[in-house]
Amino acid sequence: MIHFDNVTKVYANQNRPALDHVSVDVDKGEFVFLVGPSGSGKSTFLRLVLKEERPNSGAIHVAGKDLARLSNFKVPHLRRRIGCVFQDFRLLPNKNVYENVAFALEVIGKPRRFIRKVVPEVIELVGLEGKAHRMPDELSGGEQQRVAMARAFVNRPMILLADEPTGNIDPATSIGIMKVLDRINRTGTTVLMATHDAAIVDSMRKRVVELEDGKIVRDQSRGVYGQAY
Amino acid sequence: MRANFIFSEVWIGLRRNLTMTIAVIVTVAVGMALLGVGLMINSQVSSMTGYWTDKVELSVYLCKKGSPFEACRDKSAISQEQKVALEGTIREMPEVESVVFEDAAKAYENFTTSDSNRTLAAIVKVEDMPESFRVKLRDPDTAAAVTERIEGQAGVSNIINERDLLDNYFGFMGKLQYMALGVAFLMVCAATLLIGNTVRLSAYNRRRETGIMRLVGASNVYIQLPFVLEGVIAGLIGGVFAAVLLIITKIMIFEGIQVYMPSPLGWDTVAAVITGTMAVGVLICILASFITLRRYLRV
Ligand SMILES: Nc1ncnc2c1ncn2[C@@H]1O[C@H](COP(=O)(O)OP(=O)(O)OP(=O)(O)O)[C@@H](O)[C@H]1O
Ligand SMILES: [Mg+2]
Repeated sequence: MIHFDNVTKVYANQNRPALDHVSVDVDKGEFVFLVGPSGSGKSTFLRLVLKEERPNSGAIHVAGKDLARLSNFKVPHLRRRIGCVFQDFRLLPNKNVYENVAFALEVIGKPRRFIRKVVPEVIELVGLEGKAHRMPDELSGGEQQRVAMARAFVNRPMILLADEPTGNIDPATSIGIMKVLDRINRTGTTVLMATHDAAIVDSMRKRVVELEDGKIVRDQSRGVYGQAY
Repeated sequence: MRANFIFSEVWIGLRRNLTMTIAVIVTVAVGMALLGVGLMINSQVSSMTGYWTDKVELSVYLCKKGSPFEACRDKSAISQEQKVALEGTIREMPEVESVVFEDAAKAYENFTTSDSNRTLAAIVKVEDMPESFRVKLRDPDTAAAVTERIEGQAGVSNIINERDLLDNYFGFMGKLQYMALGVAFLMVCAATLLIGNTVRLSAYNRRRETGIMRLVGASNVYIQLPFVLEGVIAGLIGGVFAAVLLIITKIMIFEGIQVYMPSPLGWDTVAAVITGTMAVGVLICILASFITLRRYLRV
């Protein structure tokens, strides 16, 4: 599903590579934690999957497509098959929960009938039934992150990328977020989550890929956060 | 493509940048109106040039008794034989197409029926009017050479090339036209910069939306179209104002001076000019939006 082959990324005006000869394979339906200290290259990895950045060398395949050969006007189609969640939620403050989720479908031209059918379903999936007409500022951080997850998942992506989704949320609420991610993963969606949260990684017992200074220092199935030390 | 979604985005964008939108509309309106006036003058001048080039003649005035002109002073009026000889000489010149004799009575009639001479007409008598040959040339550019050869002939008082009179008038119209076009060009530059700035502001205001659109895989067209449409709509509204200004110009100015014009500016020309300026206005808006978007909206 995601295949990195000897990928190196050096940002412009930067002499140290953000990713240094990284090779990883993530299969369909897997749940993978991307861990490592700040600046180790986790977000860079996720941005490369989205083709928001281009590698300096190496090959990246996502959903069977070679990103280097994917023309610019086809990139939107790639992104329709990948959902994204971030630490800062990125909701539209002037739209309510329903509209925020529906926005993701409106802008890719889905018919209204389809939107009316699937948006309530996914709002229920993330556990926000009854709150569809709340505005983002009337929701807790955990609830806002659920809206973001609903938006990321509403188009049934093959891959869900989550960059520190629990970074702004207290541990108790984080468990709820992880349950939603697990639910999404069980529908067959591949989940790739970058995180600093040791407790969560330890409790989930999923595959862990650890980066340090842009290099992979550990790749372990059913791993924990800090085992290598 | 969801049309109502795009139009609601456009509407929000225009309202959010209301002051900039108004600035764009005013600039486009004034710029396009001036461009239109320039084009209208141009069309007027060229239709008149065509009209006059057909008609332009040399007027060869003949000596009469008491004529104040140098060539005739202290001489008697031209004799009948001299007249015949002169006409023959002129007619034999290869550059000349036709020669018509205009006697004092005919000259008087032309003079009194002309609009611009009404006040003088009352005090001028038939005897005051000069006799002349109206010489029509095959090529108006040979006027100088022909004039030179006729000038020395006996009985010729003076020669007037009508084109010299018209050139003054055309020169004035030409200057007016270049001024209008020059200012129009400056306004177009200002409009381009303003539109660029508006689109940039708009892109900045909507960076959250566009960021999410990019993320969920909206196509570039879908992301950029609302911005371009904002520019196009502002341009169109400006174009409508310019059209109104042009129609007013046509009624107030061109119809006012039309009395003196042998070929008045028609409404079909005005319509063509309005269509042209609208097209230019909208095109500028689209170009300015696209160029700005390429810089400020990474897709
Ligand atoms: N747009 C950019 N331009 C230049 N350098 C960048 C850019 N983004 C990231 N970097 C650099 O690349 C390296 C890896 O950054 P990245 O954001 O991938 O780390 P991270 O593992 O996500 O860190 P964190 O846990 O703090 O989010 C860092 O040294 C960072 O300074
Ligand atoms: Mg990061």
